[in-house]
Amino acid sequence: MLGMGTLTLGSSTTMVAHTTLTSSNTLSGTKRHNLFNKTHSLPINFTLFSSFNKLTMPLTPFTTAVASVQSDSVSSSDAPPTKNELSKYYFLVANAKFMLDEEEHFQEQLFERRRYYGERNKEQDFWLVIEPKFLDSFPEITKRLRRPAVALVSTNGPWITFMKLRLDRVLAQSFEAESLEEALASNPTNLKFEKPDNWVAPYPKYESGWWETFLPPGQKEVNS
Amino acid sequence: MAAEMALVKPISKFSSNLRPKFNTPRTVSYSIRMSATPTTTPTSTKPSKKPNKTSIKETLLTPRFYTTDFDEMETLFNTEINKNLNEAEFEALLQEFKTDYNQTHFVRNKEFKEAADKLDGPLRQIFVEFLERSCTAEFSGFLLYKELGRRLKKTNPVVAEIFSLMSRDEARHAGFLNKGLSDFNLALDLGFLTKARKYTFFKPKFIFYATYLSEKIGYWRYITIYRHLKTNPEYQCYPIFKYFENWCQDENRHGDFFSALMKAQPQFLNDWKAKLWSRFFCLSVYVTMYLNDCQRTDFYEGIGLNTKEFDMHVIIETNRTTARIFPAVLDVENPEFKRKLDRMVVINEKILAVGESDDNSLVKNLKRIPLIAALVSELLAAYLMPPIESGSVDFAEFEPRLVY
Repeated sequence: MLGMGTLTLGSSTTMVAHTTLTSSNTLSGTKRHNLFNKTHSLPINFTLFSSFNKLTMPLTPFTTAVASVQSDSVSSSDAPPTKNELSKYYFLVANAKFMLDEEEHFQEQLFERRRYYGERNKEQDFWLVIEPKFLDSFPEITKRLRRPAVALVSTNGPWITFMKLRLDRVLAQSFEAESLEEALASNPTNLKFEKPDNWVAPYPKYESGWWETFLPPGQKEVNS
Repeated sequence: MAAEMALVKPISKFSSNLRPKFNTPRTVSYSIRMSATPTTTPTSTKPSKKPNKTSIKETLLTPRFYTTDFDEMETLFNTEINKNLNEAEFEALLQEFKTDYNQTHFVRNKEFKEAADKLDGPLRQIFVEFLERSCTAEFSGFLLYKELGRRLKKTNPVVAEIFSLMSRDEARHAGFLNKGLSDFNLALDLGFLTKARKYTFFKPKFIFYATYLSEKIGYWRYITIYRHLKTNPEYQCYPIFKYFENWCQDENRHGDFFSALMKAQPQFLNDWKAKLWSRFFCLSVYVTMYLNDCQRTDFYEGIGLNTKEFDMHVIIETNRTTARIFPAVLDVENPEFKRKLDRMVVINEKILAVGESDDNSLVKNLKRIPLIAALVSELLAAYLMPPIESGSVDFAEFEPRLVY
């Protein structure tokens, strides 16, 4: 079966080739390497329903990840990557103004899901990534995006399918990555949205910066 | 199903008295008040009629119960007949509904009774009516979804389960509202409602248009009230409004399901007839809401809202959301649209005044005729305003050139 992302694209969309991202495990000296060596525990039982196991790859827990700053250029290794080290990530992407400023119900949904995960002690499996680096692997998508772009990334494929139905004006795809850190790597960007000239709703607009809650760990943005 | 669609009566060869056999929910053992008539104005010198248990008087704007052609529904969702069914999308929706974000949320506390006891005078009466109408509307959604879930079980188990899970949500909403009525020493006999109400027949196509709009407009109504009251807590007269943030997300998800249903039937979205019906249902739902709310303006002003501003905000946002699936929508931001709505309000007020006058029924009917003609004229003119072309990007011919 093709990746979930291809199923969520409209039939008239040019099909984007599925790309596997791999990271070269280049070490650059013991001392420097230690600075970036982190232990990550990936969610194991994040699949909500066993009936969807076929749609979601089981995750193998990682204990070590190589720093993503060392893999700016993505290259494939000659040897086929070992399957059990790769995880699949599904995403939706659009310009940040649409996702984070105009679509206020989007914010409500993310907070609702976060609250739900908290109530049931579930590990977070969705994130917002502003100017994600993985877009470099999707030139057909990149050329159709206004910038800055923001992606909603999740290991839960069906949920991304649902969000595509809700948002409609987004592009959807998927990719594989060796680590969460690699998958969620981003280029630093300051987001600033102009106040709407004519806000007529009988309530105030949601406060800017609400999305910081959902940025990957260690990637909090400086909101000017 | 939060909104009401009273004006919607497309021509149908089926009798509106069709009464399918629905399962009867357990009867609530409270004193029963059955009132579907508009509230009489305080200036009326006519003594108010005693509530009548055995017959439900329906006016033009009464919330309705719906039934449909279940055999046609089965044909539409038979995966062997319909190759357009996007199973991945329905599986995704099923997962979302099974998540059940609100399983633990609609729990009352002592605040409810305390708040109800403080409500007195006209606002109390107005609030009771709000609870009654909302409960009836949610319950009608429960009945329809439950029956669809039952009837589609063999044909399409995934779609059937989604309908059943939506009926779970609607039952929860209706139950919560009915418990609210108990704070006012009232209760709707939902079992009685099931048997006694007349059912309006809608073909599946119209169920999709009407119910999608009802759920999305319900989302916008509830979230707007919630966000307004959050920043103006002095108007928070009853704790049910604090639950509207979670509540409205259920309505929004229900609307998403109807999006997927319509996408699975492209013939409902891709031709000139689809555009005409889309505009018709938008107009019917918006006008019904506007007339209903202006008729009950004391409620909205009682919670600190400007009724017309509230309604126009809800209409504009609902229309914008609907433009993502309907092939055409109304140009509701054209100021002429609101002017037409306001003229309809004036006409509707006159029609109500005729009904409450002391004239005999023949004179009343004669007086109503020119008013109804004027209303129809405004409706037709609003319908004929140039529409806005719209629809999902999934169906857009120009999609490869869209920039996101």
